[in-house]
Amino acid sequence: MAAAAAGWLKRPIALGLAMLALGAIVAAALVAIIRHAAPPDVRTAFPAGEIVVGVDGSFPPFALDDGETLQGLDIDLARAIARDIDLPARFLNIGYYALHDALISGRVDLLISALRVDPARMDDLRYTASYFDNGFVLITDADDSDANFDALKEARIAYEYASSAESQIRDWEEDGRQLMRRPYELPQYALDALRLEQADAAIVDATTFRLYQSAHMDWSAKSEFISHDPYAIALRIDRVDAWKLVDSALAALKESGELAKIIDRWL
Amino acid sequence: MSWLTRAGAAAAVKRNRRAPLLILLLAAVFALAVPRPAPDHVPFGEQQNVETANPLLCVHTLLENEVQEAKIKRSLVLARELGATTIVQFFPWAYHEPSKGRFNWERADRILGHANRQGLQVIARLGLVPAWARPSGPDQPSTLNYLPAESFEDFARYAAAFARRYAEAVKALIIWNEPNLSFEWGYRQVDPAAYARLLRVSYEQVKAANPDMQVLAGALAPTLERRGSAAGLNELEYLSAMYRQGAGDVFDALAIHTYGFRDPPAAEPNRERLNFRRAELLREVMIAHGDGDKPAFITEFGWNDHPRWTSAVRPSQRSAYTIRAYDYAKSNWDWLESLCLWALRYPADLLSYPDNFTLVSADFSKKPIYFALQDYSRQRARSEALWLPPPLDG
Repeated sequence: MAAAAAGWLKRPIALGLAMLALGAIVAAALVAIIRHAAPPDVRTAFPAGEIVVGVDGSFPPFALDDGETLQGLDIDLARAIARDIDLPARFLNIGYYALHDALISGRVDLLISALRVDPARMDDLRYTASYFDNGFVLITDADDSDANFDALKEARIAYEYASSAESQIRDWEEDGRQLMRRPYELPQYALDALRLEQADAAIVDATTFRLYQSAHMDWSAKSEFISHDPYAIALRIDRVDAWKLVDSALAALKESGELAKIIDRWL
Repeated sequence: MSWLTRAGAAAAVKRNRRAPLLILLLAAVFALAVPRPAPDHVPFGEQQNVETANPLLCVHTLLENEVQEAKIKRSLVLARELGATTIVQFFPWAYHEPSKGRFNWERADRILGHANRQGLQVIARLGLVPAWARPSGPDQPSTLNYLPAESFEDFARYAAAFARRYAEAVKALIIWNEPNLSFEWGYRQVDPAAYARLLRVSYEQVKAANPDMQVLAGALAPTLERRGSAAGLNELEYLSAMYRQGAGDVFDALAIHTYGFRDPPAAEPNRERLNFRRAELLREVMIAHGDGDKPAFITEFGWNDHPRWTSAVRPSQRSAYTIRAYDYAKSNWDWLESLCLWALRYPADLLSYPDNFTLVSADFSKKPIYFALQDYSRQRARSEALWLPPPLDG
């Protein structure tokens, strides 16, 4: 009789426990959904109330320390991101080799320093979406409507000696493409050669091309990416909330056209 | 199931329960039976000798992170063919003693085996702290360059074990790298007294293990940082402070880093300027502390030829300056044992301006400076230009 009563009593307890467990699961799921949907708290993401940005100020036009001020594309981008997050930006000018240790040790919150996305660093770093592609571009004269990568046969192709462009050309030649190599000491000479019709095409990185175009406004050329080298903002892998804020600020700058304006200002 | 008898079904269930075990057994047999690819071992090959007219020529290699042994060998062949007599190579403590007292010398054996077979002498740079020897955790993130004082003895034991094992293969050890920069000192305030203690404990243990091994101190970074700077301390003051801490007794030679930046090699040294001959100012500090009889090794130097880096020169200048630097050193620095270029090659291109310190790219493409140095070592003149002249209008 007692055993039967105990069994009778156990049933609602078990039911109650099951309901409680179900409630807890639903609550946890709701919290997860809300947390995922809501933007991270700025104070949690940047508890110091500022965004400390590590840059290498020796690499214009991305960042240049002229002894008094830091300026460049990366500096303007950092300021725009900080503005979007509604925090002040503070810069630490650090040499290239010290950048990553500054991030790992917590000296800076993020790195904006013409840094490519490096798969080898993915265990330690979390990258935002890319803000600039410094891949190699094939440049041809804008007036030559037939000129493009597929049409390049027996073309005179200008490039910087011993650069990655030369490796690319070697790969094409190994694939059977006939090209006439025009190596130059500097990448801008390769573009001079194209502009002065001493070459049919040139290969340089995107930054070199854009800077050259800015200096030769009367020359029109068209470009086609042949490789990609995405620059992105790096944060420490455990700074998930900070990364979300920065990545979403970058997306907003892209969406509004502000990023394109910043790039155009410097390149 | 309709065609199965009840007994047959029960047996099938039993068989199914055993199926995973059978699959595992079969997989094990298969794994043992199928020939596996041989490990990526590349024979050291015949003993080679370096032929060079430039015995000071030395290159800093970065083979510690090179995965493919064939690329290690190819890099060292390139160093020999360049005419280098010596390499500086980093041997990270974290790689070779992953847990306390348990050494794994596989990588070092491989690199040194290939280097010696190419006829190259090796200066080993030691550093990079294993996780077990440094503080860690979210409240105290430490970089791989953070060596707490309580781990000095552990580091010294590693250095001693290295010196004992590679008595024949290595001619000198560099104790740490650029301790006058805060990031190379674990992002702490630099501390010459602490470095002097590290040097002393390392020197004593290395000499006890192998009295013939040369211990090189310093490898100080060229920098203008003043006392109190969070970034570091200029190498001249740092070396003086090391001597004041008694470090002069515990090293056999000084390792020097000196870069040309935009100055030609003969440009006068100046305490307020970084250039190649700044090495002479370090030499003056040595002499002032009665250490003038000790030799020095320049274990990092060079020029960079990236088109946009603010401290770079043109590729043609880089080649010319480097050759003239060897000429200058030969004529003027009788205290110098080796003049080592940073760097032969990176295992992967960084796709930024540091790539323009290398002599060959990650894909082994030789840069103009490689040819210039090779010609200098072989005392020959190149008849063909590497590139076309700048295009001219009209």
